[in-house]
Amino acid sequence: MNVVAVQDVSKTFGAGHTAVTAVDHVSLNVDAGDIVLIMGPSGSGKTTLLSMIGTLMSPTTGRILISGQDTSTLAPAQLSRLRLQEFGFVFQTFNLLSALTAEENVMMPLITAGVPRKEARAKARTALEQLQLGHRLRNLPRDLSGGEKQRVAIARSLANDPRLILADEPTANLDAKTGQDVTLLLCETACRENRAVIIVSHDQRLRTAAKRVITIEDGRLTAEEAGDHNLNCRMHPESVQS
Amino acid sequence: MLFLAIKNLVEEKTRLLISVGGVAFSVLLIMSIQGLYQGWSNKIGEYIRTVPADYWITQTGATDMFHTPSVLPLTVRDFLTGVPGVATAKPFSGRRVAFAHNGRDINLYVIADDTENNVGAPARVVEGKAVPDKGEIIIDRVVGRSENIRIGDTIPVAGRELKVAGYSEGGYILSFSFAFATKEDAESILQLPGATNFFLVTVKENADASGVASRIEADPAVDAITKDRFVENNTNIVRDTFLPIILVLLLIGIAVGMTVIGLTIFTSTIEKAREYGVLKAIGVSNRQLYTVVVEQAVTAAVLGYLVGAALALAVSAAAGTYVPEFITEIRWLDAAWIFGVTFVMAVVSSLLPVRRLARIDPAEVFRA
Ligand SMILES: Nc1ncnc2c1ncn2[C@@H]1O[C@H](COP(=O)(O)OP(=O)(O)OP(=O)(O)O)[C@@H](O)[C@H]1O
Ligand SMILES: [Mg+2]
Repeated sequence: MNVVAVQDVSKTFGAGHTAVTAVDHVSLNVDAGDIVLIMGPSGSGKTTLLSMIGTLMSPTTGRILISGQDTSTLAPAQLSRLRLQEFGFVFQTFNLLSALTAEENVMMPLITAGVPRKEARAKARTALEQLQLGHRLRNLPRDLSGGEKQRVAIARSLANDPRLILADEPTANLDAKTGQDVTLLLCETACRENRAVIIVSHDQRLRTAAKRVITIEDGRLTAEEAGDHNLNCRMHPESVQS
Repeated sequence: MLFLAIKNLVEEKTRLLISVGGVAFSVLLIMSIQGLYQGWSNKIGEYIRTVPADYWITQTGATDMFHTPSVLPLTVRDFLTGVPGVATAKPFSGRRVAFAHNGRDINLYVIADDTENNVGAPARVVEGKAVPDKGEIIIDRVVGRSENIRIGDTIPVAGRELKVAGYSEGGYILSFSFAFATKEDAESILQLPGATNFFLVTVKENADASGVASRIEADPAVDAITKDRFVENNTNIVRDTFLPIILVLLLIGIAVGMTVIGLTIFTSTIEKAREYGVLKAIGVSNRQLYTVVVEQAVTAAVLGYLVGAALALAVSAAAGTYVPEFITEIRWLDAAWIFGVTFVMAVVSSLLPVRRLARIDPAEVFRA
């Protein structure tokens, strides 16, 4: 079963002669272990598509199935649950909670899902250590570098073992090298655990990591090609035992 | 989610200080006035409770010692002692007397200390003589201190010069205080020849008290009021004076507290709108987010309550030693209802931020 099945989805903002069709009859399937890079010019509808897949926005027409479940049939509270359990989000502007330490930011989705505090803390710590942030657990976001913040955000997105990670321009607020390193880290971690990843980006260098590269123009999918998928997807020695 | 609520609060120290300060101010206000009310209510009851009587016999229609005049001819005593079941019936004379001393208005409730009948003695004498002699008066220590009247001073009570012979305690209520003169002096001050204000009746041990009362009330000129009821009637006077003040301060306190909490939590919610959007996106339910906001309001309010209650206790302890009129009693019951009000206030004041929260669109988080 596809992790995501986008079936002939369109999204129109506004009505009448000011209407903008941001996404235009798009169909797309994403499977476990897929690393999909969506590219396209500004205003082509990338973010809109990603928001609909992430159930933050509903399509005007068409259907989106998540693990076979038609999202249009779900109530808001069920969609919240679905996002909490099935999705991890990574944003351009990191979007960490400013009052919480790195560790607590990663604990948030776990606590929301009802994981006991102690267990959540232990999990958050392990996740951050795997992303080389073991020395930054108690730091507030304002004391972290951009790359560190994005790594905390990645740890947060992975906290609840999601099947799918959605990232919108994860490198745009980072310098080229850091952006690429962090995204590769995300892709490797995901691919090791057979999660699906959808990344929206202008960054051509991410093609090395992607398994599939999709181009979107004026709201339509115009091309799909294979990416290099040049990743080390073998398990890290330290995570083998678990 | 309490930890997030607390972290959010602590992150903005100034705002937290403002909301805690606002609530503390309200609690201090409400608790102090309530304590004052309770303190004075107790004081007034305290003296009346020491007066030995099962029933207070008043002129018909008179219900208390202050509001309604009660004058009874001494001959009523014969009637009362003749009522089956009555053990003793003793006259009790006392009334408010106002006069000026050193340019200040002084209000005393002069009571005849009837040593012969053992009625009308001060509850507690703390300095000087316990029983006044002719030409002497015992006043409350609070009046002595606040009006600077020392033992040995002479004061003009209703035209008669009386020498202050002692200080009693526990008889200061609102704007007047109990004072004690000999029966003869009191009668001339109170102008009660052949009359008194009340009779104090005790009932024989095995007599049916209410039966005795109805036999007394067979006389249309008098009412028989139980001691408890009489105490209550008198404390009600304090209540009637205080209740409107308490209500006004309660409203002010609630308004201040709600505004401060409501505004600080509201601005914090607006400032954190993006973070709340992120939380919605990652799957935190609306209900969980509302809880965070309500918890912030309640936490700030509880802190404010603790600070305010501590201040109220400190203020009433300190003020009591410097300003003797400031008699307060802060009861657990009052602390509890004020806490309840604070809590409800916090919850209500988070309604506005919660509405704001409901409108946050999680899709916005993908816009940079
Ligand atoms: N909430 C909205 N209301 C109205 N129009 C919108 C809304 N969101 C997006 N649009 C429009 O839809 C189109 C696609 O926007 P979208 O943000 O999906 O593009 P994008 O490919 O992510 O662009 P960029 O690379 O600049 O982020 C644009 O023309 C945009 O103006
Ligand atoms: Mg975009």
